[in-house]
Amino acid sequence: MHSPKFLKNPNRRRLLFFIFLGWLLLLIGDRVDELRVYQGALIAIYTLAIGSVILLTGYSGQLSIGHGAFMAVGAYAAALTQIYFSPPIIITFLAAVIITAIFGALLGGGAARLSGPYLAGTTLALALGLPTLANQFEFLGGETGLSFDVGFPPERYGFDFTLYKWFFWIAALATLIMFWVMQNILKSRYGRAWKAGRSNQAAAELLGIHVGRRKVLAFTVSAGVAGLAGALLGMISIVSPSAFPLSLSFAIITGAVLAGLTSLAGSILGGLTLVIIPEIAEAISKNVSESEAVSANVPGLITGVLLILTVLFAPNGPAEQWHHHKEKKKLKAKSKGS
Amino acid sequence: MIGSFRKKSLLAASAVIAASALALTAIPAQASRVGVTKTSIKLGITVPLTGPASPGYAKVAPAMKAYFEYVNANGGVNGRKINLIIKDDKYLPQEAVNRTNELILRDKVFAIVGALGTANNLAVNSKVRLGARGVPTLFVNTGFSGFANKRKFPTLFPLFPSYAMEAKVMGTYIKENFAGKKLGLIVQNDDFGQDALKGFATAGVKFDETIKYVSGTQSATTATTWIQKLAAARVEVVYLFGVSTATAAALAVAAQAGYRPQWILGSVGGDATTIRTATAVPVAVLNGALGASFMPDAADTADEYVKFFREINNEYNKGVDFDNNVLAGMNGGMMVAQALKAAGPKPTRKKLIAAIENRGASFASAGLAPLAFSRTSRVGYTGYWIGKYNATGAIIPVEAKNVIYTTDSGNGPVVKGTSKRPALPTKGLPE
Repeated sequence: MHSPKFLKNPNRRRLLFFIFLGWLLLLIGDRVDELRVYQGALIAIYTLAIGSVILLTGYSGQLSIGHGAFMAVGAYAAALTQIYFSPPIIITFLAAVIITAIFGALLGGGAARLSGPYLAGTTLALALGLPTLANQFEFLGGETGLSFDVGFPPERYGFDFTLYKWFFWIAALATLIMFWVMQNILKSRYGRAWKAGRSNQAAAELLGIHVGRRKVLAFTVSAGVAGLAGALLGMISIVSPSAFPLSLSFAIITGAVLAGLTSLAGSILGGLTLVIIPEIAEAISKNVSESEAVSANVPGLITGVLLILTVLFAPNGPAEQWHHHKEKKKLKAKSKGS
Repeated sequence: MIGSFRKKSLLAASAVIAASALALTAIPAQASRVGVTKTSIKLGITVPLTGPASPGYAKVAPAMKAYFEYVNANGGVNGRKINLIIKDDKYLPQEAVNRTNELILRDKVFAIVGALGTANNLAVNSKVRLGARGVPTLFVNTGFSGFANKRKFPTLFPLFPSYAMEAKVMGTYIKENFAGKKLGLIVQNDDFGQDALKGFATAGVKFDETIKYVSGTQSATTATTWIQKLAAARVEVVYLFGVSTATAAALAVAAQAGYRPQWILGSVGGDATTIRTATAVPVAVLNGALGASFMPDAADTADEYVKFFREINNEYNKGVDFDNNVLAGMNGGMMVAQALKAAGPKPTRKKLIAAIENRGASFASAGLAPLAFSRTSRVGYTGYWIGKYNATGAIIPVEAKNVIYTTDSGNGPVVKGTSKRPALPTKGLPE
C-alpha cells in the first residue's frame, strides 16, 4: 500500500496526526461529564509542563527541579496582561510565553555555567523563593492572588457548553500546538545539537556546536512552554503563590520521570498519572480507612512506588521501553529472516 | 509495508475508541435535583480549617454541622437528613476554587452554604460560576456589599450586613463621639477592606493614619510596624477592620508596647475568644473597646437563641468552646434549614432560591437587625447595635442590644430603631 504523496513528508504526517488527535479529544470532551472534562484540562496542562521539563532535562541534559517557578511567571504575566490590557485571550497567552521565555533566557544565561546538582539547587531556590515575591508587591495581589477571565464560551456552542469544556478546549488546543512546535524543534538541527551536547559535550564542541549557547536556548524554549502551562493553570484557577508550591515542581519532575525523560510523547502518560493518582488514592483511602493520616499519605506512597518501579524496570519510561521492545523484536525477526 | 499496516491498525483502533466514546454518551443528571434523595440532602461548605486565618473561623462549619445533626435527630427537614460536607480552603481563593469544584463536580451537592471569605467567594463565583450553573449559594460568611447584586450573583444570598453598612454606622458614631481626636485605621487590602473604606467615605470620616495589610501577612512582626506607626503619629482612636488574627496581633503588640488608644473592633475580627486563643494577650486588654454587632453576644446567656445554641453545642459539638463563631455557624444552619423547609417537600434549586426571596425576611434567627430578603433585594441583616467590651471579653450594649442602627450599603441615611426579632421556633426546629 502506498501512502499518498502528501503524506510522504514526515512533517505533514506529524501535522495530520496532531489534527487527528485534536479531533479525537474534541469528541471525547463532548461525551464525558464535567468532572472528567475538568480533569482533562488539568491533564493537558500537566502534559505541557512535563513536556517543558523533558525538553530541558531529557534533551538538553540540564536538570531543573524548579519548573513551578516558570509556571508562576507565566501565570502572573498572563493575569497582569489580561487585567491591565484585556487583549484577546490568544495575545494574553502569547505574552505569557514570551515573558517567561525572556525570563528563562536571563536565567539560562547564568545557569548555563552550572550543571548537575548546582543547577538543580539554583532552580530549587527559584521555585521556593519566587512565588513569595507576590506578597511583597501590592500589584501582585498577595496570598489572595489575581484572577483573570477568559470570558464565557461563545454563544454559538449552545447553552449546554460548560465553562470547563471551554477551559478544556483552550488547554488541549494550546498543548497540541505547543507539542507540535516542540516536536518540530527537536527534529531540527537545534534538537540534534541539544542531544549531542547532552551525550558528550566535548565531542559536540569539536563538531562546532556552541554548547553554552544551545543550553541557553533550551532554557528559553523550555521556560516559554512552562510559562504557557502556568498561564493555563491560572486560567482554570487563581494566580497566587499557593498555586505554585514546591510540590508542583516536584510533581512535574515526577511526572517527567514516570513518562520517561527522553520521550516527549510519554509526557501525556505523566500528565495522566498526576491526575489519576489522587483519584486512586481517594478510592483506596475510602476503602481502607477514614483517617486523615492515611488519606494524606496514600498519594505519596503510590507516587513513590511508581517512581521506584519506573527506575528499576523502565528507567527511560514506559513509552521508551515499549519502543525498545518493538525494536528488539524487529531485530530478532530480521536476524531470523536472514 | 508493515509500518503502514501498523499505522492503519492504529488508525482503526483510534476510530473504535472514538466511536465507543460517542456511544457512551453520558446522560446529564437532572440538574435541579442534584444532591437530593428521598431521605437526604447534600450540602457543601468551604472554610479555613487550617492556615493563618483559621483560628476561630475553623469553628463555623462544625457548628453548622452540629445544628444539622440536631435537626436530623429530630426527623430532618421534610423527612430528609441534611448531610454537610466540609472542605478546608485555608482562606486561600485558589484552594476555595478547587474545593468548590470538588463539591460541585464530585460530591454533587445541592447547594453551597455559609462559604467564608470575601476574596474566596469572589474567586469561586468568577471561576466556578455558581450563578451560571444555578447552584444556590446560601448565607455566605462575608459582608462584602457587592454580593447583594442579584444580576451579578443570581443564586447568592449574603446574610451579614455589609462592611459598608458597618463602616457607615460606626463612622457616624465616631463623628459624633470622637470629634477632634486623631483617628487611625487598620484594614485588609482587598475587596473586604475596600467595602469598609467606601462606607467610611460615605459617612464622612477621615482617618489620619490608614494602614492597609495584605491578607496572609498579618503577624507579630507586621503588627509591630503598624503599632509603631500609629504610636508615632499619636493616634488616639484605632479602628481594627481586619480578620481575627490581625486584630489579635495588633492588640498583643500594642499591649506590650504600652500603647493604649481607644480601640474599635470590626465585627469580622472582633470575637474575644478567638483573640484570646490566637495570642498571649489577656482578654482584659479589650476592656473598654468599642464594637458593632448584629448578633447577640455569645456570652449573653439570657438570650433565648444563645441559650438554645449553647445546649446544642454541649450535646452535638462536644469539647468546643462556645463563642461568636460557633453562634454564627449555628445561626447560619438554622437559616439554611428554614430555607430548605420553605422550598417544600420536593425541593429544587429554583424553589430554594424562590423560598428565600419570598419568605426569607421572616425566617427566625438570632440576628437582632431585620432581614431584607425579597424578590428584588439580596440584602440580609441591615444594621448593627453598638457595644463596649467588658473585662471578660463580652460586648455590652452601649444603649440596649435591641437599639439597632439600620442603613444600606449605598448613600442612604443611618436610622436608629428598635428591633423586633422573631421568637425562637419550637425546639429551635424549622417551621
